[in-house]
Amino acid sequence: MDSPRGLSPITYLHLAARNLVRNRRRTLITLLTMIFGIATLTLLSALNDGWLNQMKTNFILSYTGHLQIHAAGFEASQNLNDRIKEPEEVSRLMQSYGEIVGWTQRIRTSGLASVGGSSAGVQVMATDPEQETWVTSMDQRVTSGTWLRPGISHDLILGHTVAQNLGAELGDRIILMVQRLNGEMVSDVFFLRGILETGAPQIDRSLALISLNSAQQWLQMGDSVTDIVIRADIHEHTDALYRLFTQQLSEHKYEIMPWQELDPMVRQWLEFSDAYGFVILLVVIILVIIEILNTMLISLHERQKELGVIVAIGTTRIRIFLMLLLEAVMLIFIGAILGYLGGSLLVYSLADSGINLTRFANAFEFFYMDPVIHPQLTPDSAVKILSATLIAALLAGIYPAWRATHLSLSQALRIQ
Amino acid sequence: MGNNQDSSIIDLRNLHKCYWVGTMPFPALHGLNLEIAAGEFAVVAGRSGSGKSTLLNIVGALESADSGSVEVLGQDILGMNSDQRTQFRLRNIGFVFQAYNLVRVFTARENVAYVCQLQGKSRKESMEIANHWLHEVEIGHLGYRRPDQLSGGQQQRVAVARALASNPKLILADEPTANLDSTTGRRLIRLMHELNHRFGTTFLISSHDPDVKQAAGRLIKLADGQIVDSWDEVPEPPQSLSSSCPSSHLPLGERVRNYIKLKRQSRGGKRRGGNQRRS
Repeated sequence: MDSPRGLSPITYLHLAARNLVRNRRRTLITLLTMIFGIATLTLLSALNDGWLNQMKTNFILSYTGHLQIHAAGFEASQNLNDRIKEPEEVSRLMQSYGEIVGWTQRIRTSGLASVGGSSAGVQVMATDPEQETWVTSMDQRVTSGTWLRPGISHDLILGHTVAQNLGAELGDRIILMVQRLNGEMVSDVFFLRGILETGAPQIDRSLALISLNSAQQWLQMGDSVTDIVIRADIHEHTDALYRLFTQQLSEHKYEIMPWQELDPMVRQWLEFSDAYGFVILLVVIILVIIEILNTMLISLHERQKELGVIVAIGTTRIRIFLMLLLEAVMLIFIGAILGYLGGSLLVYSLADSGINLTRFANAFEFFYMDPVIHPQLTPDSAVKILSATLIAALLAGIYPAWRATHLSLSQALRIQ
Repeated sequence: MGNNQDSSIIDLRNLHKCYWVGTMPFPALHGLNLEIAAGEFAVVAGRSGSGKSTLLNIVGALESADSGSVEVLGQDILGMNSDQRTQFRLRNIGFVFQAYNLVRVFTARENVAYVCQLQGKSRKESMEIANHWLHEVEIGHLGYRRPDQLSGGQQQRVAVARALASNPKLILADEPTANLDSTTGRRLIRLMHELNHRFGTTFLISSHDPDVKQAAGRLIKLADGQIVDSWDEVPEPPQSLSSSCPSSHLPLGERVRNYIKLKRQSRGGKRRGGNQRRS
C-alpha cells in the first residue's frame, strides 16, 4: 500500500470500518453470530483442555509418574531377571535436573494373594513409602486404614477391588506368594494396613503394595529394582527429561518410557480428544466462513455500482481486492476477539466450580477423569482459535474480493 | 470556449461496438468517426439507445470497442490492459455520472480528496485540494457532509469537484443533469461551462437536455450509433448484422451455449428423421 503518501493503511482501515458500519444491523447480526460461535468454541476447547489435563494428572499421579526407567526389555517381559542392578547409577543423575520434583524405586512382579479360603492374582508392587509420596498421590488415595509405614516390613495395602474380591478387612493376615529370581516360589504373611482406591479399575483390581526394603530381602534382590519412577514439575517437561535420560543412559542397559507409552489406551484417548477438538474447531470455523462469505457477498452485491465508480475514477483492482479483504478480516477479527473474551469470561466463571457430571462418574473414573470438569484456557488453544479464525477471515474474504476485481465496469455503472 | 482548440484530444476512427443479449446482437456504435479538439465544450445528443453512453464509456477507457481505433490524448486506449487503463483514467480523465455516484461512506471533502490520494498526494495536500475545488463549485461550506445529507444538485457539484480535483485534461459527463430539476441543471451547466472557460479543460457531455444542448460549444448528433448532421437525416443501417456484430465477438459463454444448443437441435433432427423413415 502507498505510505506515507497516497492511500495509507489508515485510509483503508477507515474505509473498511465505515463500510462495516454503513449497514449496522447486518454487521451486528454477523458479529453476534460470530461471537456466539467463537465463545462456544473457546468454552468447548477449554473443557476439552480441562478434562485432558485432569486425565493426564490423574493418570500420572495415580501410578505411573511422568517417566519410568527400567532395565532394557522389562516392560515386555515383566521378568525380575530384567532388573536394574545398579540403581545408584541412575539415582545420581536425579540430583542434576531441577525439573525433577521426586523419584522413587519400585519392584513389580506378579503374585498370588490369599486370605481365608480366597485367593486372587495380584500385581505386587514394592516401593519406598516416603519417596513414593513425592512421585504419586497413592498415599492420599488410601480410603481406609493407613499408608505404608517407613521401616515396617510386613505392611500391605491392597487395591479396593482386590480387597473386596478376597473379602479382606483391615488387620487381616494376607499371604502373598511370588517367584524369586531363581524361579523358587516363596510366600510370606503380610498385614493389611490400608485399602487404596485410585479410580483406575485395572490398578484397583490387582494392586498389592508392600515396602521396598522388605521386598528386596524377601525376593533376595539386594539393592536391585525393576522401576525408577520420576515425577517432573510440569507435564510439559516430560519430553525434555526423556531426551536427557536417553542421552545419558545406555540404551542397551535401560529402557526409558514416558507416561504416554506406559498406557496405550490413555494415549489413544488423548489423541482421540485432540481429534475431537479439531473437528469442533473445523465445524465452527466453517460456519464462520459461511456467515462471513454470505455477508460479504450481499454487501458486494449492494455496492457493485459504488465499486464500479471507484474503479472508474482510478482505483486499481488490487486496491479494491485489499479493501474488501480488509473488511472481512476486520469483521472476523472483531468477532474473534469479542468471542474469545466472552468465552474466556464463561471459562473463568466456571473454572472454580467446574461442571458437575457426577451422573456419569462411573464412565469417567475408567478414564482417570474427575466427575467435575474444570475448564482451562491454555495459550495453545488461544493460538489455535485465533489463528484459525484469521485463516477463516482470509478464506471468506478472498472470494468476494476476487469477484469485486472482476466486475464489469460498464455493467456496474449502469445499475440504477 | 477554452484556448487550446488547435490540437485534437479525442480521435475515433471507424468505431464499432456491439452488445449481446444471449446470442442476439445489438449494434451500439456503427463505424463512428469523431475528433474533439482540446478545450472544446462538446455535447453528444441523441435519443435513448443512440449510443451516447457507450461512446463516453469507450472514450473514458471504461469499456472496449469491438473494432476501430480510439486515441485519447494521443494514446491508443484499445491497446491498454486493465491496469494501464485505470492509470490512464486516474491521470487524464474526470467523470461526472448521471446518478452522482459518490462514495456513501465518505464526506463530500473525502470524496473529492480520494482521487488526489489515489494520485499519490498526501492526505493533507489532498484535503486542501478538495477544499479548493468544493469552493470553486460553491459548496465549500458543505465539505463535512455525507452524500445522503446533500441535495441532488449539491451531490452533482461534489461529483464535478471530484472530476476536477485530479487536474484532468478531459471531463466526461454522462447525462449530468438528468436527475436534477431544470433550475439546478442549468446552474450546473453554467458552472461546467465556466470551468471550461477558466481552466481550458475539455468537456464531452452526453445529454438530451435542451439546456445542455443550448450551452454546447459543439453539438454532436448521434442516431443509431452513427453521427448525423441533422435530426432529419436517417442514418444508413448496417449492411448486415454480421459486418457490424461479427459472431467472433460473441462472448465465450454464449458461444459455448450456442454450440451446445445447435448440437442438440441437430441430434433431435436426426432422431426425428430416423423415426419418420421407420414409419
